[in-house]
Amino acid sequence: MKTVVIEHLARVEGHGGITVELQGDTVSDVRFDVFEGARLLESLVRGKRYDEVAPILSRICSICSVAHSLTSLKATENAFGIRISPQTEQLRELLYKGENIQSHALHLFFLALPDYLNRPSATALAADKPDAVLLGLRLKKLGNLIQETIGGRAIHPVNAVPGGFATVPTLDQLIELRNALTEGMQDCVAVIDVMTSLPPADFCHDHTVYAALLSPNADSYYAGDEVMVASSGDRSIMRAAEYKKLTNEESVLHSHAKHSTFRGRPFMVGALARLTVNPHRLTGNLAAAMERLKLQLPAGNPMDNNKAQSLELVSDVERASEIVEHLLQRGVQDERPAEVHVRAGTGTAITEAPRGLLIHCYTYDADGRIMAADVITPTALNAASMEQHFRSVAEQSAGCEDADIEKRLEMVARAYDPCISCSVHLVRRS
Amino acid sequence: MKPVLAIGLGNPLMGNDGVGCVVAERLASDSRLPEYAEVICGGSDLLGCAGQMEGRSRVLVIDAIQRDTELGSVVTFEGARSGLDEHQDHAHHLSAIQAIRLLEMIRSIRCTLLGISISSVALGTGLSPELDAGIPAILNRVLQELGRPLEVL
Repeated sequence: MKTVVIEHLARVEGHGGITVELQGDTVSDVRFDVFEGARLLESLVRGKRYDEVAPILSRICSICSVAHSLTSLKATENAFGIRISPQTEQLRELLYKGENIQSHALHLFFLALPDYLNRPSATALAADKPDAVLLGLRLKKLGNLIQETIGGRAIHPVNAVPGGFATVPTLDQLIELRNALTEGMQDCVAVIDVMTSLPPADFCHDHTVYAALLSPNADSYYAGDEVMVASSGDRSIMRAAEYKKLTNEESVLHSHAKHSTFRGRPFMVGALARLTVNPHRLTGNLAAAMERLKLQLPAGNPMDNNKAQSLELVSDVERASEIVEHLLQRGVQDERPAEVHVRAGTGTAITEAPRGLLIHCYTYDADGRIMAADVITPTALNAASMEQHFRSVAEQSAGCEDADIEKRLEMVARAYDPCISCSVHLVRRS
Repeated sequence: MKPVLAIGLGNPLMGNDGVGCVVAERLASDSRLPEYAEVICGGSDLLGCAGQMEGRSRVLVIDAIQRDTELGSVVTFEGARSGLDEHQDHAHHLSAIQAIRLLEMIRSIRCTLLGISISSVALGTGLSPELDAGIPAILNRVLQELGRPLEVL
């Protein structure tokens, strides 16, 4: 028997990785060990007032701070029966687009690309492919500019509050954003060029179940209340408040992350799931880009999540541009947030964070203080699916050298764009 | 645009890991902050601050560093940062060291890293009382660094 171990895939408080045990060419065991810190963070908001919750939970992650903030606000608003204005919904959607753009740019160009091009890191890639790294940096800057303009800060937004926005963007700010997005459109063409130039990553095929927010209007990450689970021809739909029917979390011995399965099967969330569940998004430029990428849906290869992210980069820049144009034409009303009347109750929200479904569920007392909170991150939802795909990689790599198996496992893990270790980012002495 | 930018890094939900952000917040309201310097909190995504770093004469990054030295002691790293870990611990963002190297390479951004020594992190808001007591001395050290003339760097 031999064991392939990747210790440093991602770590929180010192532990995390992949272990594959092989008896000859037969895979006897696969373990994806993670320490899921986000679940423990729920204890930090117990007893907190409703207006303190989003600022705290947005700090779970710097990359996904908008997703946590807006999902938190939506759950609180659902608990109190607050209805937000169409303008607020549009601004939140724009803010979400900004996060998705900067997150996908970071993942594709600084984390995934070095794998494809056999470079150990983004710094090594920058040494001989500076154009690709600069392209990623420009798109990340664009996403951050949207977040700063709408959210008030590039990281950990402060403008989004229960019921609306504390301040709204000025005309000048929107014009600056429009100009930046116009330049970003050019960069999106280059994104697809880069992605189509990459060598194929064709070493993991498995039947995959996908789960994503149903997005009846355009490509919304924020609006919507229904999740679809798609498996071959089967389709199941459930509302946000019924999220436990989707998650079915179970503890596993080898990991601090609970595993989620739907009808006994792991499911994948993220960009590939969003496109699979919402194929009506794939028209015009996106359909052409999809053809160039040779992406077919439903896909059985988790590496295609990278292609899906590149398509979303294109659609997010286009959609953000449309929203800004609409705001400029219609004018931004200096409206106040909707009034908050606290009451005892439970509110649930599901949105599409850059790496997939994000669930916040809060129970408030009559004074508007949190009695119980449940936060389920996309990486937690993906944990069982990742393990399934690690097994597929190992099974489909029979006869390969250990180093090749390790690289393939790391690439598949990376394709999920996991968000395991974002709570701690220490500089360590080597 | 002010010529000098100080960026505090860290996660305030992870105890002492958030010391960089705490220092940035206190520095921003400190009357001794030089006119030519701006301070922001960058969370744990230094690359996300790249746009704000561009065009500055100097960028000071303030971050927790896990070392065996005295809690709260501050070490300055310039140029080649031998001994600092560049390992990719994070599956979805670059470490501060990687981001600094990358930005120095492709954007010619000049960074100084101020590492604040901590020994461990734990879930929870706020710094440990021991580290919190050392914040005035850390602020003095950061202000001293901000006051260094550019030509001697």
